Amino acid sequence: MQNWNRDLSRRSFLGTAAIASTLSAQTERPKRIAIITTIYRYLSHGQHMGDRFLVGYPHDGEWHKPNMQVVSLYVDQKPEGDLSAQRAQQFGFRVYPTIAETLRCGTDKLAVDAVLIVAEHGEYPTNSFGQKLYPRFEFFTECVKVFERDGRAVPVYNDKHLSYSFDKAQRMVKESKRLGFPILGGSSLPVTWRLPDVEMPMGCQIEEALMVGENGGDDAMDFHALEGMQCMVERRRGGETGVRSVQTIQGDVVWNAGWSIDLLSAALSRSDTPLGMTVKDGRTQDLIATGELRRLVTQPVAYLVEYRDGLRATMLNLRGALRDFNFAARVTGHGVMSTQFLLTPEPNVTYSACLMNKVAEMFATRRAPYPIERTLLTSGITEACHRSQGKRLDTPQLAVTYAAPKESQYCRS
Amino acid sequence: MKLAAIVTVYRKYSHAQHIVDRLLEGYGWNGSYHHPPMELVSLYVDQTPEGDLSRDRAARFPGMKIYPSIAEALTLGGNKLAVDGVVIVGEHGSYPKTPKGQVQYPRYRFFQETVQVFKASGRSVPIFNDKHLSWNWEWAKQMYDTSRSMGFPFLAGSSLPVTWRIPSLEMPRNARVKEAVTVCYGGVDSYDFHGLETLQCMLERRAGGETGVAWLQAYRGDKFWDAMRRNVWSKRLFDAALCRSHTLTPARAGFNDVFPTIEDMQRLVKNPVAYQYQHVDGPVATMILMSGLVRDFNFAATLEGRSAPLSTQMYLPMPDGRTTLANFFSPLVHNAEQMFLTGKAPYPIERTLLTTGLTAAGVDSLYAGQSKLNTPHLSIRYQPSDESTFWRS
Repeated sequence: MQNWNRDLSRRSFLGTAAIASTLSAQTERPKRIAIITTIYRYLSHGQHMGDRFLVGYPHDGEWHKPNMQVVSLYVDQKPEGDLSAQRAQQFGFRVYPTIAETLRCGTDKLAVDAVLIVAEHGEYPTNSFGQKLYPRFEFFTECVKVFERDGRAVPVYNDKHLSYSFDKAQRMVKESKRLGFPILGGSSLPVTWRLPDVEMPMGCQIEEALMVGENGGDDAMDFHALEGMQCMVERRRGGETGVRSVQTIQGDVVWNAGWSIDLLSAALSRSDTPLGMTVKDGRTQDLIATGELRRLVTQPVAYLVEYRDGLRATMLNLRGALRDFNFAARVTGHGVMSTQFLLTPEPNVTYSACLMNKVAEMFATRRAPYPIERTLLTSGITEACHRSQGKRLDTPQLAVTYAAPKESQYCRS
Repeated sequence: MKLAAIVTVYRKYSHAQHIVDRLLEGYGWNGSYHHPPMELVSLYVDQTPEGDLSRDRAARFPGMKIYPSIAEALTLGGNKLAVDGVVIVGEHGSYPKTPKGQVQYPRYRFFQETVQVFKASGRSVPIFNDKHLSWNWEWAKQMYDTSRSMGFPFLAGSSLPVTWRIPSLEMPRNARVKEAVTVCYGGVDSYDFHGLETLQCMLERRAGGETGVAWLQAYRGDKFWDAMRRNVWSKRLFDAALCRSHTLTPARAGFNDVFPTIEDMQRLVKNPVAYQYQHVDGPVATMILMSGLVRDFNFAATLEGRSAPLSTQMYLPMPDGRTTLANFFSPLVHNAEQMFLTGKAPYPIERTLLTTGLTAAGVDSLYAGQSKLNTPHLSIRYQPSDESTFWRS
């Protein structure tokens, strides 16, 4: 165990030093990356995120190729359209049948410098709360076993929420702290472009927050919207202190659930995708004033989130009214601030380049650019909202505290 | 304050629909739903093909009446100018083409008939003219001269200069620009104008301001690829612009976002076009249309004293499946509103006079076998507005 610790701290030091000089970065030995994914099919998260490390990505006005080399891949399922074998052949790495072998590259010791876990898409069961049971915890646990057995741990990125289960998510974070390896997770919403380029002032007093999007019921999209909201509110005065309760409501009660109409109005003013009459004849619409909103959204869903410091935040699913993600908050001294989280179009989905650049940064420096607790808390909110079933649910387990990164982490250059 | 709109066609996603609807219905602006503080009281529509929305709009907005002539729209059926501002949208509709392939949109005619009412009434009001002034340079110059001699505010141009930028950055005022490139898409006498306005709204901010353009040469087909291989325009700038795109056509099957080689581009782009031109004070600019490769407008420039190119995307949330609302018209309409309210154009009409001339020169060069044309008529000097006018809030 003593050796283990020394090895970890030495590597940590080397990692930081290596990045301190970007000029020398390309002369360093490329970091060896293992990809652990559910499926590797065109436009699956595994493909578009994994490929960033194979072919590079647009960043800061250039085509950026991080000094990293994918050396091994594990795919849990190989449906029709699987690209894993083709990629392995073209880029000179191997697909291994188990996660342990992937991390050890067929040797008997951990043989990679970082692990990219992408467990989104693929055929997995859904639980009675509508959550898809992607094996993120299981993939992660396999990696941890190898780290522990081989006496060395490397940075791990886990795409999207840590797990459908907060309990499992919490165990993942604990393991990373116990073995001292950095972990980054989450959605691309917190790091993508914003229209306008607006950030919550650090330490501001947020009176109320609201996110609106086309989600609700589907934990995949809910997580994106909730983490988009979380990356904004975590900058409030006092930092993040966790969530006291959540409640999911649906139907007409959503319209009078205590959230402020001026926040919805601000959020909708940022949307480029109003539906209904806009689709029919191109017109602009004040969806609220015309009453169209209530006609278009036949099944509204609201997630009401009460934070432990008293902040109330609402995520509105207005399926049928719009297709993009827009946020608004009332901030003392600043009025209502609002923005759109820009999800750039398929197939490029360049927002995932914004996210993979953060991952590359952690792989290179062994420092996560933003805290995993954001993703942990959002994983817990997502699960609790799905379990609420209309009732207010106390969430003592979500007393997750953390400080937001001082520097803004979204794409703006 | 009363406005008249003079348009070619009012159909779903025609420019008139985007612009006039914003004046009638309002639009999302600065975090709330904005109703322009003015009334659109009259409309002239030159063509009413199938899908016409003008009658629907007149029925829903009884404050707006449709008139059968431009004069009547401006006088509200009386004998004197009865509005405080005119919006001219001469884009879309069925109009004949010139032998060089330019669509003869009647912007000059709309403008002339408007000015005749001004003259007959002894009063002029501000005019907003969507896109370039005219396909015909002489007419465009005449429109400009008339606005100056009669002394009314005149605003025109594309939404590219005023829309969101990703990232949200501005050309530093008084920058020393060496070379600039825009990589975009679309056709000749169409989106080329948008590409030129993209370049010009940035370049006009350089040290000394605008001095005009000395020559232009267009490239297409084999000559385009040959010029590209000879680095007639900077490959570094071309690449930087391409790295701002969100719509790169994947060059290889199974990949969603890969950087193309020149061979990939030759396969993907059937009809590439470039207009290269030099400003009188030296900087060289190249507007590149690459339909098949990108579906957005990307800018890059080399600045003295800065190692990396300055690059950004002028972002059009395009309702071609990506969005439902062409919200890049919102900042355009908002700038027009500012002119109507203040009596001052927020940015100089000379920008659009120059890009109008460049568009025509591009067409002429292509028509003359892609030869290099001297453009002494484009020695147009002007200073940019002090304030940035692109969408940031």
